Amino acid sequence: MTSAPAVDDIVRSEYEHGFTTEIASETFPPGLDDGVVRAISRRKGEPEFMTEWRLKAYRHWLTMTEPNWAAVAYPKIDFQSISYFSAPKRPEDMPKSLDEIDPVLLETYQKLGIPLEEQKALAGIAVDAVFDSVSVATTFRKSLAEAGVIFCSISEAVHDYPDLIKQYLGSVVPHTDNYYAGLNAAVFSDGTFVYVPKGVRCPMELSTYFRINARNTGQFERTLIVAEAGSYVSYLEGCTAPQRDENQLHAAVVELIVMEDAEIKYSTVQNWYPGDAQGKGGIYNFVTKRGDCRGARSKISWTQVETGSAITWKYPSCLLRGEGSVGEFYSVAVTKGRQQADTGTKMIHIGKDTRSTIVSKGISANQGRQTYRGLVRIGQRADGARNHTQCDSLLIGDCCTANTVPYIEVRNPSANMEHEATTSKISDDQLFYCRSRGLTAEDAVSMIVNGFCKEVFNELPMEFAVEAQKLLSISLEGAVG
Amino acid sequence: MLVVNGLKADVGGKEILRGLNLEVNPGEVHAIMGPNGSGKSTFAHVLSGREGYTVTAGSATFEGQDLLALEPEERARLGLFLAFQYPVELPGVNNTYFLKAALNSIRKSRGEHELDAVSFLRLIKDKLKILHLDDSLLKRAVNAGFSGGEKKRNEIFQMALLEPKLAILDETDSGLDIDALRVVADGVNALRSPQRSMIVVTHYQRLLDYIQPDVVHVLSKGRIIRSGGKELALELEEKGYGWIDAEGQAA
Amino acid sequence: MTDLTANGFGSWLVDSVSHADWLDDQRRLSRAQIGEQGIPTSKQEDWRYTSLKGLLEQCFTPVDETITALAPDDLEDILIPGLDSHRIVLVNGRYAPDLSMPGEIPKGVRFDSLRTLLDTDPDAVRDHLNRPLSALRAGVEDEPQPLFLALNTAGFDDGLVVRLERAAMLERPIELIHLSVGMDEPRVAQPRHLIILGEGAQAILIERYVSLGDSIYCTNAVLDISLGCDAILRHERIQMESANAFHLTGLYLNQDAGSHYQGVNIGLGARWSRTDLVTDFRGEHARCELQGLYLAGDRQFMDYHLDVTHSVPRCTSRENFKGILYGRGRAVFDGNVVVARHAQKSDAAMSNRNLMLSESAEVDTKPQLDIHADDVKCSHGTTVGQLEPEMLFYLRSRGISAALARRMLCLGFAGEIIQTLSSELLREHVSGQVGQRLESAPLD
Repeated sequence: MTSAPAVDDIVRSEYEHGFTTEIASETFPPGLDDGVVRAISRRKGEPEFMTEWRLKAYRHWLTMTEPNWAAVAYPKIDFQSISYFSAPKRPEDMPKSLDEIDPVLLETYQKLGIPLEEQKALAGIAVDAVFDSVSVATTFRKSLAEAGVIFCSISEAVHDYPDLIKQYLGSVVPHTDNYYAGLNAAVFSDGTFVYVPKGVRCPMELSTYFRINARNTGQFERTLIVAEAGSYVSYLEGCTAPQRDENQLHAAVVELIVMEDAEIKYSTVQNWYPGDAQGKGGIYNFVTKRGDCRGARSKISWTQVETGSAITWKYPSCLLRGEGSVGEFYSVAVTKGRQQADTGTKMIHIGKDTRSTIVSKGISANQGRQTYRGLVRIGQRADGARNHTQCDSLLIGDCCTANTVPYIEVRNPSANMEHEATTSKISDDQLFYCRSRGLTAEDAVSMIVNGFCKEVFNELPMEFAVEAQKLLSISLEGAVG
Repeated sequence: MLVVNGLKADVGGKEILRGLNLEVNPGEVHAIMGPNGSGKSTFAHVLSGREGYTVTAGSATFEGQDLLALEPEERARLGLFLAFQYPVELPGVNNTYFLKAALNSIRKSRGEHELDAVSFLRLIKDKLKILHLDDSLLKRAVNAGFSGGEKKRNEIFQMALLEPKLAILDETDSGLDIDALRVVADGVNALRSPQRSMIVVTHYQRLLDYIQPDVVHVLSKGRIIRSGGKELALELEEKGYGWIDAEGQAA
Repeated sequence: MTDLTANGFGSWLVDSVSHADWLDDQRRLSRAQIGEQGIPTSKQEDWRYTSLKGLLEQCFTPVDETITALAPDDLEDILIPGLDSHRIVLVNGRYAPDLSMPGEIPKGVRFDSLRTLLDTDPDAVRDHLNRPLSALRAGVEDEPQPLFLALNTAGFDDGLVVRLERAAMLERPIELIHLSVGMDEPRVAQPRHLIILGEGAQAILIERYVSLGDSIYCTNAVLDISLGCDAILRHERIQMESANAFHLTGLYLNQDAGSHYQGVNIGLGARWSRTDLVTDFRGEHARCELQGLYLAGDRQFMDYHLDVTHSVPRCTSRENFKGILYGRGRAVFDGNVVVARHAQKSDAAMSNRNLMLSESAEVDTKPQLDIHADDVKCSHGTTVGQLEPEMLFYLRSRGISAALARRMLCLGFAGEIIQTLSSELLREHVSGQVGQRLESAPLD
């Protein structure tokens, strides 16, 4: 009689989508001081106010101490050994065709159903005449411009919309916020700026465009999205495909500002290199994301699918200031191999009748370590505030870890807060049931895991929900070998 | 179709099946009865390939193939179906999606084309009617939050959909009230055909009032100690299992 | 010797009488640990929501040798009429033989004053007093004792020692009354209790904290409980310290295989209190239940910390705490369930539910799960809410006043925990106390 493979066999083997590091040209020598900060600003041709802004952040950063997080472990980072500026690569330094790309990576792209030309772009191949990104960009820009939506890189915005930048940059995540936000403010490479004027519903998901074009934004990315009264925008960051990246430390900052009756839907799919079986070489993803619901009935919805990186540390948060404003956080995080994730959210209820929903699904396999860390604070003036939190962990194998650390602070008697958490495993009974109906063990695991994550996938824009499901299957199947 | 020869199996070092012989031909319905702990469910589980059992001797072949060497899904694709005594809940896994994946995997292995969404839905609605099941069932997660009766009907519904060659019904009647029992039995009877065989594992004779078996076997201490027609079941009901055990001891 | 005055607790300790070398060493080590760790701040996770400011503003000194003379009559208001128990009374932390009525003690059971034991036969309790923190608490190696455990170890000079031999059974409950009596200046009492149940032994322990008068004092009690295989202990704690008191309890529980601990913690008194419940399973199939009810009224602060460690497989724990907050009441619930690697089939469920009844009340709750094994059943749930308006309306539509309706609903909420107390007399007593406090509370 054959024995069925146990659940842990299915996720045993190592991640196969690693890739080699290449040398980029035109890179600053490692190290950070006043001069480097000035040089970054100069290279980007920034106006004086921006240089000063960076310097102020840098000087404050010097007074801060690097955080020492209890739940994640990694070797100490030497901030003087990092190079803080690298120009976009020249075409001759890039791979010439898909033949030069790791076939495993290409296989993943195919499984995800990514079009050929996009595959090339993602793999870092110099874009040839056939794939005219400029014309694609132009088409997008035209319809956005017609709607009055500003959508450009932060660098462009600093030049073209200095007043908006002065008004909003750093207004939600000040450089004093935390160590990595401080560092980002001093040396941020580039990122995205979106401004949606009053009453405008952004005519498209800001996703496809972004996926093709917003590469090489570097390790210190900065995103700023402003939604004026009554507007709506859905923004998708990242990509289901594993992306090439040379930088180990990523310290991004994302700021969202939402006015009366406006809504921002911010979705993230993160699939950076997690490192090899020993956890070596993976990305450290230390991100500060925060949204400010300034207006009445404003809404921010964060959705994230985190499958990559060696270490993920991020808490997309909402300041619910406007009366009746709404914050949502939907998260799927997968840690396997030696991956570590410490993620969650903060919902700060300040205004009356504010509502928040937290749905967190953590999947931990092999020796993965995962922590949900969340804060729900209901302030004294937040009459009628409501929060519902659901935090579930799925454990695959007996060497992984799931830690749930919710902080709940309630200072208002009319508030209602509910928090539930569960821990479960894929039982051998469930696996056997599926297999006795003809499914392979891999399919069964993927089906059960997708079922576990369904509430979160439902929140993703349609096309990405499908990709995210595939990604999850590949992540776990990729481990099957 | 199914030939089981001298089958012995252990659970956790304890011998449960002690040389079981059984032959089932196409179209036949066999009932296996026996007291608790006689090895009925173990037999069903061993045939369908559940983990945790060690076969120490004997063989089981299905249409000439060595069943015991196959993975559970391979057995399912060959046409073996187990209706679980305790159907498993799969929270968040949509029933339709589950059924479609199962059906198409089996069709594929038979060299048939996979069904598209439309023809699948048509098929599934036909089958639902047989079991008097509401199509809201399709939107729910597999067995999650189902009542006992719903779970059992869902099992038979899956059987109707997957059209196995040999179905093993493991105590399908347990926990059912008389109405639910009738619905389940009607469903099973509707699926009887000259090509399809069934093994009905049960503790009680009453299920056999609804599903008429061709052969009745009595299992005791891991072996079939008597076989006969459906009158054997009635005799058993009348005299109780003690009678069999006494005979088993004598034999 | 380390200077303890640096962190404000110097006045808590005096040079104690030497009973045994091992104890002197243990006390010296504890003093050193107190000096080294300084005052906990909100930066430390265990003290994130709890400020020691009020406690440190007082200059507590140990209760002196002279026990205020009390006659048995003075206990009248304190006793629960009809409660048939082995009564042990401690006055200001010291065993009061004149007030105690241990009654007939069955074979295999011993009650002793810790102080008497230390005077006569210190080695009898050596194994329980002379052990590192790792023996009290799982998951720590050579860590120093937490501050208030160290203070108690350095300063205790009495307490109750209960020992039940193998299979011994107590039918009547042990009633341990901590009575604090007003004194001229702020005093601290640091009793240390040892509860040791041998294999298969069974007992009920009712622990009550009460006071005469409402002077300022501090209790820093430590309970060290060991349950042998299959032993069963019901442990019911009712804290009704005076409105000006500070109260600390550190309860350290060790459970061998198959043992069962049923704990109920009722917190009603003290202006500032902190309770640490630290449990560890040493053998499989053990079960631990921690029930709790706290009523934090105006200017009261109540802090519960639970550390439940499943270090071996197949154990079950249930943590169920409910709180009612009114006036400027504040509560902290920090529950931490840890399932160690290989502790498969662990089953843990933690719940914390709070009723907030006033504008200025506050609750901070942090139910934490830290899971390192996959085949486990663990969950936690937390809620913070109010009385249901429909329920209030329903009661009022039947002619019940709003105030009474609120009180009825609050008592209903508290009832789930009160019902778990073992005796009807105790349930009535606690219900009455809760009702009384709610009656005087502005519940709007």
